[in-house]
Amino acid sequence: MAQFDSQALEHLKKLCRIDCTPEEDVELLDSLKRVLDYVGQLNEVNTEGVKTCRYVLRSMLKNQMREDEVKDLLPREQFLANAPDQIGGMIRVPPVLKAP
Amino acid sequence: MKPFHLCSAIELRDAFLKGEASAVQIAEHFILRIEKHNKEIGAFLSVLGPRALLKAEALDKKRAHNKPLGKMAAIPVAIKDNMHIQGEITTCGSKFLKNYKAPFEATAVRLLEEEDALLIGKTNLDEFAMGSTNENSAYFPAHNPWNLKCVPGGSSGGSAAAVAARLALIATGSDTGGSIRQPAGFCGVVGFKPTYGRVSRYGLVAFGSSLDQIGPLSATVADAALSMEVMGRHCPHDATSLDLPGESYTFPKNLDEIKIGVPWSFLENLKPDVRDNFNHSLDTLKSLGAKVIHIDLDILKYTVAVYYILATAEASTNLARFDGIRYGVRSRNAKTLENIYEYSRKEGFGPEVKRRIMLGTYVLSAGYQDAYYKKAQKVRTLMLDAFEKAFSDCDAVALPIAPSGAFEAGSIHDPLEIYLQDIFTIPANLAGLPAVSVPSGYDSRGMPLGLQIIGPQMCDVPVLQYAHAYEQASRHMQIPPSYIGSSK
Repeated sequence: MAQFDSQALEHLKKLCRIDCTPEEDVELLDSLKRVLDYVGQLNEVNTEGVKTCRYVLRSMLKNQMREDEVKDLLPREQFLANAPDQIGGMIRVPPVLKAP
Repeated sequence: MKPFHLCSAIELRDAFLKGEASAVQIAEHFILRIEKHNKEIGAFLSVLGPRALLKAEALDKKRAHNKPLGKMAAIPVAIKDNMHIQGEITTCGSKFLKNYKAPFEATAVRLLEEEDALLIGKTNLDEFAMGSTNENSAYFPAHNPWNLKCVPGGSSGGSAAAVAARLALIATGSDTGGSIRQPAGFCGVVGFKPTYGRVSRYGLVAFGSSLDQIGPLSATVADAALSMEVMGRHCPHDATSLDLPGESYTFPKNLDEIKIGVPWSFLENLKPDVRDNFNHSLDTLKSLGAKVIHIDLDILKYTVAVYYILATAEASTNLARFDGIRYGVRSRNAKTLENIYEYSRKEGFGPEVKRRIMLGTYVLSAGYQDAYYKKAQKVRTLMLDAFEKAFSDCDAVALPIAPSGAFEAGSIHDPLEIYLQDIFTIPANLAGLPAVSVPSGYDSRGMPLGLQIIGPQMCDVPVLQYAHAYEQASRHMQIPPSYIGSSK
């Protein structure tokens, strides 16, 4: 497998939408490299013909269906009480569209 | 009667029902104990004093008017701070949620409250339940009541420490890779992880959705069983909730005809004091009539590798919701939408949470998913097969809870070394099995050790029955001397 290097870490930070301090970068590069080395031991296991695990409870294999109807709606005010920034009953964010 | 904190939860409830104690007296007693001891233990992130007293007054009135009282009447219960109590703060041990007021009630919490429990506070945890020592709490670490220099375990370390010091008689925990059982073992209390799906996860902040399960920590096995009778109900808000009737527990005294399997090859490198303690526990089970047999679970040596791929993959998707937009803390330095995500997550998450999100994102990313995530899911299938085969030969599997008793805070820095501490508890999560930790004595330093009993899926009742028989025969249940006290 490809080596986990600082370029891979930069790409990963973008995928995760997480910014880090330079000190965190150094620590993460080292620890992630070692954890990935460790979990690489799974390559020893012969999994030819083995299915991926999709259900933990084998005896309960049935779909849990329900009617597609709206209920238990969280009231707007209650939801917005936790919003970091709001305006006119909506969540406010910085502009996402550029002026033409 | 004896001081309230020296009673089991059932004893205290019965004393209340008989009129030997009022609910207000009980609530005040435990609130005072928390005030006195929480500074040094750090078990609680918040105390719900007024709420508990209000409920207690209502219970006293109910009793005075001979109205029916619930199964948990007047029992002081602590809730791990990753479960919602409507209207109270749920921090998850993270700065990201320091102001987050739960807009709805977790099902497990609702069921406890409906049965008249006194919800007395929210307990400390590793941030988003990621850790085995409680040192990852963004607020302050909890300490082990048996030796304050040692960790209480994690992630439900606050819950375990609260019950160990009898600041509450029952606490809820969540267990993704051992987060109920390992701290229970480290603190000398009982901890039970039910079959996956037995307790609804609705209102539990998700970490690894195919692994997470809520369960009780308590002073006795019977108290854990009582909690399960109350919390183990089907819930339509959790698609993985078992659609089965609730279960009730009775306790036979011996273990005749029961076969306990031990995967010896998986236990080759045990420390001498842990090995001696484990062997002694097996002798106790034999004295109760159980047969101990060898079983093959060699595949479990890959436990930690499988878990840290799957749990982090699930965590990386579950924690994507913490974006600084809709709830939680938004970075003040952010000027653009992208900044909000990146800075809020940089400032809001601690190092371990960042590491796990990154690891999980990596194993799911294009080019690596087959090599890591899918490979791990295949090995998980092999583990389910291995357990299924093992349980055709035995009724339960016995394992130690951890490679050692509680260690000193700050003594393990390496994340990988910390991960390896979970080796004996993770298998039950990967296979969805019910598993209990029950006190089994002490290590060479006098720190508690735990015996783990794991059963087949849906065998929650037998697992607690075996644990109860063991508990009654071994009688290791004790309170750390500094917290016995005569009154408060």
